[in-house]
Amino acid sequence: MNGLPQPGLAALVLLPLAGCGLCWVLRAPKRILAVTWLASLLSALAAAPAVWACLHGRALQEAQGWLALDALSAFHLAVMYGVFILSSAYAQIYFDGGISSGELSLAQVRQFASLWLGSLAALTLTLVSNNLGMMWVGMEATTLLTAFLIIVRRSPDALEAMWKYLLICSVGIAFAFIGTLLVAASAKGLVQDPGQLLHWSRLMAAASGLNPKLLKAGFLFVLVGYGTKAGLAPMHSWLPDAHSQAPAPVSAVFSGCMLNAGLYCILRYGALCHALPQLADWSAGLLRLLGLLSISVAAVFILFQNDGKRLLAYSSVEHLGIIALGMGLGTPGIFAALFHTLNHALGKSVGFFCMGRLGQIYGTNDLRRLAGAARREPVWGNGLLLSLLAILGAAPFAVFLSEFLVLKAAVEAHRAVVVAVFLAGTCIIFISASRRVIAAAWGEPAAPARLPGPRAGLAATLLVALPLALLLCLGVWMPGPFRGALERCAAVLNGGR
Amino acid sequence: MSAWSELILILVILTNLLLVGGNRLTGLIRFAAVQGLLAGLLPLLVHSHAITARLIFLAALAVALKGVAFPLLLGRALREADIRREVEPFVGSELSTFLGISLLAFSFWLSEWLGIAQAGWLRLMLPVGFFTMMTGLFLIISRHKALTQVLGYLVMENGIFLLGVALVGEVPFIVELGVLLDAFVAVFVMGIAIHHINREFNHMDVHLMARLKE
Repeated sequence: MNGLPQPGLAALVLLPLAGCGLCWVLRAPKRILAVTWLASLLSALAAAPAVWACLHGRALQEAQGWLALDALSAFHLAVMYGVFILSSAYAQIYFDGGISSGELSLAQVRQFASLWLGSLAALTLTLVSNNLGMMWVGMEATTLLTAFLIIVRRSPDALEAMWKYLLICSVGIAFAFIGTLLVAASAKGLVQDPGQLLHWSRLMAAASGLNPKLLKAGFLFVLVGYGTKAGLAPMHSWLPDAHSQAPAPVSAVFSGCMLNAGLYCILRYGALCHALPQLADWSAGLLRLLGLLSISVAAVFILFQNDGKRLLAYSSVEHLGIIALGMGLGTPGIFAALFHTLNHALGKSVGFFCMGRLGQIYGTNDLRRLAGAARREPVWGNGLLLSLLAILGAAPFAVFLSEFLVLKAAVEAHRAVVVAVFLAGTCIIFISASRRVIAAAWGEPAAPARLPGPRAGLAATLLVALPLALLLCLGVWMPGPFRGALERCAAVLNGGR
Repeated sequence: MSAWSELILILVILTNLLLVGGNRLTGLIRFAAVQGLLAGLLPLLVHSHAITARLIFLAALAVALKGVAFPLLLGRALREADIRREVEPFVGSELSTFLGISLLAFSFWLSEWLGIAQAGWLRLMLPVGFFTMMTGLFLIISRHKALTQVLGYLVMENGIFLLGVALVGEVPFIVELGVLLDAFVAVFVMGIAIHHINREFNHMDVHLMARLKE
């Protein structure tokens, strides 16, 4: 084997970049947007065989172990591609008006498309890296690329949100790198080849020999650093601003992929801690703590939230909290948390799709002024209502099931405080958010819409209906192979046990 | 050789204290440039017994970026924004210096706690790395201007660079390269952001940007 990466996992990173190049050749804005969708779809198809094999228990490694795919990364990869395909399709609808009216220039569309595909490449790199340093490079690249996605339409508010995002996340990422260095130092002498010092699989194999003190310090830094990217409280302060100011397709990708990728990085380090008996309980406890904190903070801010996009953003803080909480509750919790990752990504994407379109039509994100939206805009209005009910955990959507499984794991572990805070938080959020969104969908109209806008077509209906239908299916019936795949992901985190 | 490294590390500590206490932006950029230069040279001294082409290349790149490119970028942003003085920081000059010295003490304690016993002057490197990183963080948190925050980020990156040399010594080449380039792009991106902010708001006082809140 030589040093050059062979086609395969590396190609998954390069494919979106090729699409990126194509965007700079084309001259028609709508075609450029179509390229983003096609490139996402093609990347997903190219990845499908490898993802499928890994979800069935195989593990791939290439380029001297720099790139690798196992069940856990394959699962996250699949969720990411799903969200990207849906969001790129939605971007065609979302930007259609702006392109037709000339509000969006060719340069702006090009900028959006190339940053979009660049983010896809960077996120892919994060997920297929076996090397923790490489993973960090991918995550940092994601931060820098997505920052400009927030200001596709330039306004003072968007700039403010972008600056906060850029600075807070850069500092977070810097912390994550210090964590990476500390973990590397903890493995000194264990890995013979210095070039493979940060390979996760190598570290996992030698985990029992890691220096516990350095690993502990490293995990703390990583948790704060990547936790910032994952939007876990109290490092979440950038999140509501960035989510509310970014164009809706970007918000969907933020919530559905980027936050998950941040948490995914933490999980890799969590697995290292888990392999050391003296650190296993400590690291799980920290994950539970941050999870509960995120749920509580989200509950407080959702209580008085009338801005639809900010409400969805705080709901992301809540759900990432639930996922982190599940990750700290042993194998059944990890299983539930992974299931929840998929459910949240699907539901939240649809939520942002509907909210973004309604925001365009009504010229505001204030839920009170959207009253009666479901009568005026049946697809988007009802979509918003249903997707919010789904992510709030209404039965029989799959989110209900995964939240129930997290709760069950907490009860079985005899964690009374966790159960109490979890129930209180989710109940507060359910009541305050559903009240507002029901009024928005079916209340008495308060203000006239800003622009009539074209009726939502078949594509829009499918974009809203398909993910919701999938959530409904998974909520009622979990296919055996899917359960098996999730169990294999959880096993990766337990060191294959 | 170790005397030289020790001297450099002490100079880094000094630049940190100057950065914390200073309030003229042009001066701050110069201190950060000197610090970047010193940090970039350190790997050569650490591995003085085995200087490879790779090492020289990395050191040259680090010096070029941290000591020359970043300060130039920041200096241009500064001229564009037409400000000279960091007026009314959240934390005054004297208190800042005091806090800086406390951070230095804390860094030494933290390095002791981690307990990586290393021979000779390498002992000094870890605390100086932590101190530099915390100085950067302090600048980001306690200063008004977007430009000073970028400067803080830069200082933080210098600290991380030192930590990398102290903790691991030899991080894989591609990662080191990636980190340096990332820092470059980050500063570049922040520069562009400042340019936009300046045009849109006619200032870059971060505390006046407070429209987005609950």
